[in-house]
Amino acid sequence: MSLDELELVLRTLQGVRAVGFVESDGLLMVEIQAGADAEETLARDATLRAHEHAGMPVAVEVVRWGGGIEPVKDARVQLVEVTTDPEASELTVRIALGDAQALGRGNMERGLLGAVEATVYAIRTFIPELPFLPGWARVVETTPERQFIVVASVTEPEARRHLRGAAEGATPVDGAVRATLAALNRTIGPEL
Amino acid sequence: MSESEQGTRQLDLAHIARFGSGLGTVYHALDLLLATRGHDDAALVVDVPALGRQVLRAGRRPLRDDDHGLLDREPGLYVGPADDGGLDAVDEPLVQDLMVALAELGFRHDTAALGARDLATP
Repeated sequence: MSLDELELVLRTLQGVRAVGFVESDGLLMVEIQAGADAEETLARDATLRAHEHAGMPVAVEVVRWGGGIEPVKDARVQLVEVTTDPEASELTVRIALGDAQALGRGNMERGLLGAVEATVYAIRTFIPELPFLPGWARVVETTPERQFIVVASVTEPEARRHLRGAAEGATPVDGAVRATLAALNRTIGPEL
Repeated sequence: MSESEQGTRQLDLAHIARFGSGLGTVYHALDLLLATRGHDDAALVVDVPALGRQVLRAGRRPLRDDDHGLLDREPGLYVGPADDGGLDAVDEPLVQDLMVALAELGFRHDTAALGARDLATP
């Protein structure tokens, strides 16, 4: 793989302003910063090109910005807490949008996917028509401070669009919830 | 960094410029800048014909939430940390101009090479 070539190919996509990479545990995380002139299909196009050139597992995150001066300061969903009930094999994600709060529940037996599901279900309280379905989540690194870096993916089946986010958490479940929010927040912001 | 180490790195830079890619040369130059001047971070902002405004951060590091406001900066070379923890423009016009010119040449070289390769691919 030539990282130079991959970076150049990504930068030739309309609206791309910067490309960054972090490689961890065999996964190449690609961050793309895009301006207001970026195509709607940027995430899909970038993911296709990244997979084509990387020659290793890739996760692509697209960060979209507004008119070039100020970032698009949409409302953002915040994580309030993640609680688990091992006896019921259930985890609960509590999120907040301003003063409003919402709960989502997932099955702990489904591993980190349960955390992604609980987060998506919680967000549906604010956006019932949310087109994204839970995809997957995996821990890509455990830091010496015992923090867990997790990548999560959600999918919009009709558009065949995948959003990925990466985040650090005190537990893998906590990281998966935060990564799911990272994947969705910039996309759902205008709808909140 | 000793003088001999610095000399070796500069030779590496010339070698990469001769045989490597434009982007690889720019990133190596940024690494050299960090190593020789004791900065922790550096970024180049350039306007590239056909690509528009481009930001390159040393080590190809992600910008995340762009806390340093690099996406909004004028073309130039920025290093840090500054007193406020951000990145300041390098106060040496010649270094600024050389690095920006290197980046623009690098992009020009690589996009031309990419275009030529795509044209050659059936």
